[in-house]
Amino acid sequence: MEELLTKSEELRNVRVALLNVLEDTDDLRKEAVDERNKTMTIIENLNDGVILLNKNNQVEIINSPALEVLNIKREGVLGIPFANLLDKEELAEIKKAIIDEKDHKKIKDIYREEFSTSKDRHVEITSVLLRDELEEKGFLIVIHDVTKEKLVERMKTEFVSVAAHQLRTPLSAIKWTVRMILDGDVGSINEEQKELLEKTYISNERMIRLINDLLNVSRIEEGRLLYNQEEVQIEDVLEGVVNASQEILRNKNIKLKVEKKELPKVIIDKEKMGLVIQNLLENAVKYTHQGGKIKISLDNDEKNVIFKIEDSGVGIPKDQQDRIFTKFFRAENVTRMETDGTGLGLYTTKNIIQAHKGEIWFESEENKGTTFYFKIPISNK
Amino acid sequence: MMKKILLIEDDKFLRELMVKKLLTMEYDVVSAVDGESGLSMIKESKPDVVLLDLILPGINGFEVLERAKQDPETADIPVIILSNLGQKEDIERGQELGAVDFMIKAHFTPQEVANKLKTILE
Repeated sequence: MEELLTKSEELRNVRVALLNVLEDTDDLRKEAVDERNKTMTIIENLNDGVILLNKNNQVEIINSPALEVLNIKREGVLGIPFANLLDKEELAEIKKAIIDEKDHKKIKDIYREEFSTSKDRHVEITSVLLRDELEEKGFLIVIHDVTKEKLVERMKTEFVSVAAHQLRTPLSAIKWTVRMILDGDVGSINEEQKELLEKTYISNERMIRLINDLLNVSRIEEGRLLYNQEEVQIEDVLEGVVNASQEILRNKNIKLKVEKKELPKVIIDKEKMGLVIQNLLENAVKYTHQGGKIKISLDNDEKNVIFKIEDSGVGIPKDQQDRIFTKFFRAENVTRMETDGTGLGLYTTKNIIQAHKGEIWFESEENKGTTFYFKIPISNK
Repeated sequence: MMKKILLIEDDKFLRELMVKKLLTMEYDVVSAVDGESGLSMIKESKPDVVLLDLILPGINGFEVLERAKQDPETADIPVIILSNLGQKEDIERGQELGAVDFMIKAHFTPQEVANKLKTILE
């Protein structure tokens, strides 16, 4: 009898314990449901479209912005293969980029690729493979609407283009008038008048150049610096710049030595690379005294073509060297020399080199000279 | 025979300067101040070369160029764009539409424009 009582007591204890376990499980379940609801609320209220695919690449979670961009209804969308959602004319471009052509179940990794889903809607799409140590768990697709950015970008480009046009028009009038007077098209002028007008002409040319520099800067900031990239010999670009610079070299009686060797080809925007070399050469001339020396050499290693330009000029003060590539910065020693410059040349130069996946650097000592180097990757074609 | 140049330019001062320069070079110069009149003058006066500005009141220079090239009567007349636009896109568009050259006004002197005319006419 006593044994029975003990057993029954034990059973009661087990029951209580079990109930406790159940209660805990229930709490945990509730917590899990709460967490899921929270996560869903967060996902639902993101501005970006989010789609979570299971390991068979069927839709597991999709939020309203994603539904809206893809123009689909929520009903019945869960469990549908992602490729099927993209079976629309306006989404063909996206489908092509993200779905494997041979196996429609496969999805490609892309990072912030841009697409337009209609005439005035632009989105950036990222797809990320989700996985743990053991297996692939599916994909996360993020759709970011960039319509507004595109619009602002276009407005800015238009503004800069129109502003440049408006600024150039009166400057053209000055240029044309002064040139025609100087050329004697409207009668003869005396030496003193001629001298003053020559200076006017040079000032005006400076202004025109400044506008070109500003246009380049605005391109840099839009990230649309490079336009036409082709495979070329960089020597050809250098030669063009050197030929065009004979006059400024003669004016300062500076000796330019160019050392070339046979080089592998590089993929560059020729015009922009020309601007880089021209900037570096013009700087070297500008900041080197009468009768000085400049040496340019081209070389390469396995990966890069290396350009080097060495001058015997005024150099860059030590304490200002770290700011030399900053927009509008000009070193104190050269502003005191009353040389003209916009402080945009090296900024532009550096950005062009970086856009080519290259590097630029320099060594300089005041009153001894400066050497600029840049390297750009060799074409793998 | 004197070669005839049509200058389509809306800025009065620039137009006067260029006309003056071209007259000293002994060209026969006619000019228009907007797109519509420019286009009809291409058709009527059959110039040997057209100097065309792009930003014009009414129809712009690109449109003038496009229409002139579509018209078989005027398609062969060489057109030089002389404008202060000059972004790559503009230059490329001009070339696609059939312009023989694109000169940015602020980058060339009247003499250089005249030299260009001379090489095209030869």
